Amino acid sequence: MRGRFSRSMTTVAIAAAAVSALTSVSITRTSGQAPAAPAARPARVGGKPNFSGIWQANNEANWDLQAHAALPAAVTQPGIYPYDYARVPAAPVLALGAAAAVPGSLGVVQGDGQIPYKPEALLIKKENAEHWIDRDPELKCYLPGIPRAMYMPYPFQITQSTDKIHMAYEFSNTARTIHLDKVAGPPDDTWMGHSVGRWDGDTLVVDVTNFNDRSWFDRAGNFHSDALHLVERFSLMSPDIIRYEVTMEDPKVFTRPWRIAMPLYRRVEPNMQLLEFRCNEFVEEFMYGGLRKKQLVKHWEGDTIAVDITRKVPAGDKFYEWYGGDGGK
Amino acid sequence: MRDRFSRSLITVAIAAAAVGAILSVPITRTSAQAPAASLKASAPTAVLKTPWGEPDLQGIWTDESDTPLQRSPKYANQEFFTEAQRAELDKERAALLGRDRRVDRGTELDVAGAYNAQFMSVKHTGARTSLIVDPPNGRIPPLTPEAQKTAATEREFRLALLQSTETCKKKSIACNGGKYDATPSPRFAELPPRYNTARMNRRDGPEDGALPDRCLTGGLPEFGGATGSFRRIVQTPGGISIFYDVGQGQGWQRNIVMNGSPHLPARIRQWYGDARGHWEGNTLVIDVTNFSPKTDYQGSRENLHLVERWTRTGPNTLEYVVTIEDPTVWTRPWTVKQEFTKQSDEENRIYYEPRCIEGNYASPGLMRGQRMAEAAFAKGEGPDPAISDNATDFVGVEEDPLQ
Repeated sequence: MRGRFSRSMTTVAIAAAAVSALTSVSITRTSGQAPAAPAARPARVGGKPNFSGIWQANNEANWDLQAHAALPAAVTQPGIYPYDYARVPAAPVLALGAAAAVPGSLGVVQGDGQIPYKPEALLIKKENAEHWIDRDPELKCYLPGIPRAMYMPYPFQITQSTDKIHMAYEFSNTARTIHLDKVAGPPDDTWMGHSVGRWDGDTLVVDVTNFNDRSWFDRAGNFHSDALHLVERFSLMSPDIIRYEVTMEDPKVFTRPWRIAMPLYRRVEPNMQLLEFRCNEFVEEFMYGGLRKKQLVKHWEGDTIAVDITRKVPAGDKFYEWYGGDGGK
Repeated sequence: MRDRFSRSLITVAIAAAAVGAILSVPITRTSAQAPAASLKASAPTAVLKTPWGEPDLQGIWTDESDTPLQRSPKYANQEFFTEAQRAELDKERAALLGRDRRVDRGTELDVAGAYNAQFMSVKHTGARTSLIVDPPNGRIPPLTPEAQKTAATEREFRLALLQSTETCKKKSIACNGGKYDATPSPRFAELPPRYNTARMNRRDGPEDGALPDRCLTGGLPEFGGATGSFRRIVQTPGGISIFYDVGQGQGWQRNIVMNGSPHLPARIRQWYGDARGHWEGNTLVIDVTNFSPKTDYQGSRENLHLVERWTRTGPNTLEYVVTIEDPTVWTRPWTVKQEFTKQSDEENRIYYEPRCIEGNYASPGLMRGQRMAEAAFAKGEGPDPAISDNATDFVGVEEDPLQ
């Protein structure tokens, strides 16, 4: 039960830290070298609704934009039955148990919920899904593209001024600028697109163009070409909720424009700030581990990672030892 | 880069006209023209404000001239160049432009020529003899004895890995302090004295690469380099974002916390630190701590403490003053001052999509090359990889009289 005890200690420590964080704020205010009182966030900037702040989607769109049932794992293999619905977790994620499972979702695709792929594009999407760990740019920490950056499970920050709106995404330290003023186009195709915004009443409408064909929409292999054109619409449903809507148009891949919509929620924690998530460092092993002089992961065969999973359960942590307090004895 | 420079000069005039429209107080004729002339004026004649009343620092900014970080000892306590000195330096430096200064063709260092004058920016010589304004001699203060020891240990290790290469045999500057020895050092089997951040002549794994090779640029403080340095500032009431484009597909952003709260807990360490800002009059003051031990600025790592002061000094000028402190590294704090010039928002010549990671073929390429060389050597089909130099580059920069 050592494990269980130390976990509850951790919880206590976290709670204590949270309390001290709250108290230290007020201490600083009174004793600090008098920084100007923090400006309250006004409801409007330059006469337009103020979207400034830190936001995050709270949905499963990054797993799959379309409606889907929960899956046993992000990577599966055939189980003992030949049915798709009876697949079991596969080696790359097996040791992670339920933490590697995929939550279900009603989907964010509007209308009939279908992504209108051209027949040949649908084949590519299916192939993408089968080769998820080889192809998804997210796993390599590549620039996530728009709209995916908006609903990845990481917060992002909007800094809204009158001529420019900066969006800073925690994932991979990615950014985009939405130009509300006159601006020249980019010199090359981009992962994150070229964003030009305008106001339609209280709705921010952003045209995003100049994409390359490399980013994906989600972990399910949904993709686009360099002909992608987005029209995003941001409107406040309440001071802490944005309604975010995107129309996707890409005549090379889809038979007609289609639309996704979702709420984005303000991270209302008083101490909320973006932290760094520089994942290119995290994925060096995943991408280059096979090129080490002395390999750290057993074992690589050229570019192939052959993961031999060893999960040795220490005494006290066997699953039956979690029953009834002294089950481990 | 020359192209970028000449364009920016033209656009300064356009930007000046645009900015003039939102001036809260009419500006005088003197500050509206000749941004260079305003360098000494730290008290602006007018304060530019955002529509919500905060000082306006927004726009794309860059240092349009070249000033060395440290002052050459030959200028002693001379803070500014004379006009004649600047003209002479510009002449000497212009003569370097367009040269494709390579080491001997076909040698292992030949690739250093890839960074030729087309690639590197050479800008006009700045007004100051050094970016460092304090200490008064314009030099980085002496290292503490402890930091000297650390630096010497690091240097010894790197030189050991170079000792059997042509670089040391030919006594190139990259081997300064070391000496040639035909027997490769046994130190190839050692870990570096501390977490590696710089280039070394070994590629056992990704960590042997310099941070920029791994798309993990060192970051702050950022004073610009040979591949350009632009920053875009966007403000909102109570919030500021700064995006940096430092060339070669490397860039990053900072979202300054402006709510008066204390720094992050000490256990949270970041590549760009933790930035807390507040206004002191018309100056944005940013206090930066919580740096990661994996960062390195002139030997300073997790104890680096910066106090930045950003002040709009005119329609087209922004003064940046930063005090750099780390009592474990330097015997006293030191201060750098830089003046940025506004660039055209419409031309938008800032590369805000860093793609270093997506196009980093060099990092795996260097490792694969090393593994192949080792395999060839093991089969008796190639030389010992320990006698070739894969670490030395930028041969030729020492020719710039400003550096």
